[in-house]
Amino acid sequence: MSEQQTPTSPGNSQDDVTHFGFRNVAKSQKASQVAEVFHSVAGKYDLMNDLMSMGVHRLWKRFTIELSGVRPGHQVLDIAGGTGDLTMKFSDLVGRDGKVVLADINASMLQVGRSRLTDRGYAGNIEYVQADAEHLPFPDNSFNAVSIAFGLRNVTDKDQALRDMMRVLKPGGKLMVLEFSKPTNPLLSKAYDTYSFTALPLMGQLIAGDSESYKYLAESIRMHPDQDTLKGMMENAGMVNCKYYNMTGGIVALHVGTKP
Amino acid sequence: MFPGPTLLTALTAIIERALNHALELDPAGQQALLGSLEGPVQFRITHPISLTCSLHRAGNQVQVRSQPVEDPALEISGKPLAFAALATGDNRVFTDNQLNVTGDTALAHQFQRALDKLNPDWEAAMARHIGDVPAHFIGKRIRNAVSWSRQAFGALNANIEEYVHEESRALPGRRELEATFEDIDALNLRTERLAARISQIESRGTTDKPETP
Repeated sequence: MSEQQTPTSPGNSQDDVTHFGFRNVAKSQKASQVAEVFHSVAGKYDLMNDLMSMGVHRLWKRFTIELSGVRPGHQVLDIAGGTGDLTMKFSDLVGRDGKVVLADINASMLQVGRSRLTDRGYAGNIEYVQADAEHLPFPDNSFNAVSIAFGLRNVTDKDQALRDMMRVLKPGGKLMVLEFSKPTNPLLSKAYDTYSFTALPLMGQLIAGDSESYKYLAESIRMHPDQDTLKGMMENAGMVNCKYYNMTGGIVALHVGTKP
Repeated sequence: MFPGPTLLTALTAIIERALNHALELDPAGQQALLGSLEGPVQFRITHPISLTCSLHRAGNQVQVRSQPVEDPALEISGKPLAFAALATGDNRVFTDNQLNVTGDTALAHQFQRALDKLNPDWEAAMARHIGDVPAHFIGKRIRNAVSWSRQAFGALNANIEEYVHEESRALPGRRELEATFEDIDALNLRTERLAARISQIESRGTTDKPETP
């Protein structure tokens, strides 16, 4: 929780505790607990996304692709790429001369993504890498665009992750962070809270047989920095021209920044 | 601000899907359109609300995007009615300046020709779902209905024109009007000549004065 309030405070980097949903856990344990959640939901991930967002997550991702400015021949990194929704679109855009790297810290999600993309005939310009967003295994100035969709809130040290994304971007490259955010309308916010804390765990139990993971999802969204805080974090990481686009009343926001 | 990114993206997704589906039914038209999309083509509606969308080529598909592009090869801007007229094949919108074109004009002509060429084979698409014979039967009925409605619309226009000009005499006939316009033009020409002669005579009168002793 302390991370989101003062993301750049040096004191926080020495703090050993971070949030996991509404609970505090040791920093060293968060990654493994998040991993457990995603191992549990990987098989039903796409189905649950469609059900929970009523299909609108496809539009949010589509908007991200539109703003990416990715062209044939570009090198793109899709962090926390999961089941490969963005990678698939990027693969079409970069063509045979370009390359898309689908990176995910979770082996189960990566496996689901690899199978799904291969089954759909996406091969040749996609690489699969199991990687931690805080320590990306790529040289500096490697990518024209870096995206992270619905993944940043699960990262333990978000500031470090943003700095590393900035490092691997080429100068002039774009970082796109698509993430749940804070609704701008109070009425929508109340309805959204009710939906998140009652319907989501229930759907998780019925469809994926796991209500706890979806309770974590709702909690982690509330603990994620709001639009302006995340924009500030991107600026602190060294990005310029940072701006955000609220979608569906601010339930989701797309943050875009450029490496100078 | 209305419409937000989600709604706009939904709209462009629907247009993209419909467009690509239609293009699949006309391979020649598809190649022509893809050939004219070597760079992004942007459409900008200026009034009553400001909306921008752009067409991009991605492999053998056309992508429709809701966000302005930085360097479009071609930009067409104007009011929604002008775009609707263009969609129905009325190319006068360019010459009447209802639509403004900026960018590569050769590409604009190529794009216009590609749009004119589009002729999706709806009957083939229908045949895939309901079979050849029913699809041909329905297709023939639809073609006849379209042809009849075009003919009926043309005949209705001609009848109204004839009634207004010849029977009710509410408006003068086309030939009568042309003769009147010719008379007005001739009168205008003669008046201008007369005015020129008067001014010539006046200027001669003023220059002759100093010569008298």
